[in-house]
Amino acid sequence: MPRFRQHTGLYLMFIPVIVYFLIFLYFPLLRAFTISLQEFRMIGDRPFVGLDQYKAVLADPFFWQALKNTLMIGAGQLAFGFVASLLAALSLGEVLNPLFRKINQMILYLPHLFSWVIVGGIWIVLLSPDGGMINELLKLAGLGQPVHFLAEERYARWIMIGTSVWKEMGYTCIIYLAAMTLINPSLYEAARIDGAGRLKQLLYVTLPQLVPTMKTVFVLQLLGVLRMFDQLVVMRNPAIYREVDVLMTYVYENGIQQFQMDLASAASFLIIAATLLLTFIFSRVSKYDLS
Amino acid sequence: MSSIRRSTGFTLLVAAAITLSACGNNAAGNGNTATASGSPSQGNAPAQTAAATEKPAKQTLRILSGVAGGKTPEENEQFEQEIERLTGIEIEIEKPAADYSKKLMAALAGGEKYDLVYMGKTEMDQLVDQGVLTRLNDLIEASPVLSDPAVIEPGEWEQVKYGDGDIYSIFNKKEGGTLPIVRQDWMDKLELDQPTTLDEFYTVLKAFKEQDPDGNGQADTYGLSTSGLYDIQGFMSAAGVKYRYVIDSEGKRSIPYATEAAVPVYEWFAKLYKEGILDPNFATNDTAKMRELFLSDRVGMVTYWDAWVGLFNNMRQTEDPDTAFVAKGITGAAAPDGSYMLRRGDPSVWGIPVNAEHPDAAIAFMEFWHSEPGNILSTLGIEGVDWTKGSDGSYALTETGGEHGMDHGAPFPSNTKFVNPIGTLPGAMEAREMIFSNNSAVELSTADWPNAEKIVQSYAFKAMMGELPAAEAVKSMNAELKSAGLID
Repeated sequence: MPRFRQHTGLYLMFIPVIVYFLIFLYFPLLRAFTISLQEFRMIGDRPFVGLDQYKAVLADPFFWQALKNTLMIGAGQLAFGFVASLLAALSLGEVLNPLFRKINQMILYLPHLFSWVIVGGIWIVLLSPDGGMINELLKLAGLGQPVHFLAEERYARWIMIGTSVWKEMGYTCIIYLAAMTLINPSLYEAARIDGAGRLKQLLYVTLPQLVPTMKTVFVLQLLGVLRMFDQLVVMRNPAIYREVDVLMTYVYENGIQQFQMDLASAASFLIIAATLLLTFIFSRVSKYDLS
Repeated sequence: MSSIRRSTGFTLLVAAAITLSACGNNAAGNGNTATASGSPSQGNAPAQTAAATEKPAKQTLRILSGVAGGKTPEENEQFEQEIERLTGIEIEIEKPAADYSKKLMAALAGGEKYDLVYMGKTEMDQLVDQGVLTRLNDLIEASPVLSDPAVIEPGEWEQVKYGDGDIYSIFNKKEGGTLPIVRQDWMDKLELDQPTTLDEFYTVLKAFKEQDPDGNGQADTYGLSTSGLYDIQGFMSAAGVKYRYVIDSEGKRSIPYATEAAVPVYEWFAKLYKEGILDPNFATNDTAKMRELFLSDRVGMVTYWDAWVGLFNNMRQTEDPDTAFVAKGITGAAAPDGSYMLRRGDPSVWGIPVNAEHPDAAIAFMEFWHSEPGNILSTLGIEGVDWTKGSDGSYALTETGGEHGMDHGAPFPSNTKFVNPIGTLPGAMEAREMIFSNNSAVELSTADWPNAEKIVQSYAFKAMMGELPAAEAVKSMNAELKSAGLID
């Protein structure tokens, strides 16, 4: 209590933040949870239906298809994104010319700055069968019929994974590069004295030193897996809906387009629960301290 | 600490002073008002003065509109003023620029009070289901305008009836339908006859692809473009099958596009796709992209709304009065018995929410909307802005009116007595006639349709793009719809 009195001013400064979160986060969350237990009606009574909406979501084959798509696309983004950004960081770490290094860093980072509306639009044009650059290159290579990459289910998930990795790897790469600058140079010096070459320094000094950062990056990306949305809304189309519909598009379609707010709220809480579960499992497996 | 207390005390003192002085001003103001009005400031005189000078509270009709209104915020204000001038009803029209459906639902769920809301069939189904709309049967029967069979044809009401004949909405306009729209100037140039069978359509579309109809010396044209399955009904007509659901007398649901009858049409599309006659982006196009291809001489045929025949012609003629561009609606492919099966659009309607504050004024506005002055406003637009009237009583569009294409919410009003004084845009009326004289019916959808549509689209595209043999695609489509409980 004396410490509280000592820093009263500081604690008072917290009040707007607390009020902000209460009004704009926890109150809507509570309202959504209430709606998930009701039969939603825009006007008039909303009868309490218990867990019926949750049961309806779990009995819906489109929810399970969305979950499957989410996990497949999410796993691809996690795995390929993890490896690609790490490789990019390690490669840039080996570049000695600072100007060349900065230019490459900037090129890698640039796509992260654009919204999915821009990036998705660029890829839709690049992949178009009617004059798109990829198809023009394939034509030059002798492939006759243009390929409609965005309308064929077999390419759909891979395109979502590839474009996502392309867009976000620069951001993660910067985090790794920042972590690499903090590695104690004496470790490299000791390794060199012990006769370690570049590869062994990489394997036995750089990578082990990056493990805590890797865990942080991984958990951040894991938290986002079940919430992927913008990219899919921009890049999907009716021909590939069934391969790329994810949990958040399921919520969006039911809640916003069909206005089944009760069902959508129940689905949202299942997603929150699944996210917590995934994070908990990861923290247990990797012994990562979430706090 | 003591300085904080001092400053807090000072702040409170200032706040109290401001509050007290505000009260004082208020009182003074009241006193001044009474004096200015010449009433002695004693007894109940102020109350009497207020009653004597008080006008009846003016009602403002609040409308949430998707289509009716001005094309710009400025014109929307002029639109409101024009309605007030013509009806005496003070009106406030909110017309969102995009995502109308979402805004409608969000506004109503958020407790916004509107007297009248515009909506499509899907939104109407949802709002009726949720008890948001007022039952209008009695109000319509009591209205000499809305119950007049010459204003709204009795058969039309069947489209908006629920349960035992309950009506919750009033038509915005008389809906047309979609049909193939062809570049008639290209047909004439290549000396092609109007196609009526799938084979004849193939010949025409192939010629559009291969015979350089735009004369630029490059092989850069396609025969046909669509926006996904929207709307291939003009070609499915050859198989006599209709999009969305068909429910038989026993309540059994089927989706004709998922039956064997549709296989030859999917095969026909696969042939077009393989030969590069069909726009390769057809599966991912939105309607804007499809329209752009048609207007920019990239494609010879699209499938779209009848009213757009006139709009296409108007756009190109406005851009270049000497253009050779001529769009024309055609009836699609005939079934073996010579009949056609085109699609009529879902009704677009107005409803009165149960929390509306001025339902009577809303009905009065609807009566105006379906009267001749309302029809003029909903088509030509605002007098003096979109059109002018000559001394001989003739109407003429202004430059702005010409750009707006005689569409201010209802280009084809329901009122059968209304004749557009300017006439209709070139080709639009002929296309409309084709819709109404060729077995065009509204498609039937249920709450399950969005899920069923995903399955239908997925397999239909595979068949049309040749990824799967059409017969196999239809078989899988049917099986999956059944296993998901979406057909019986």
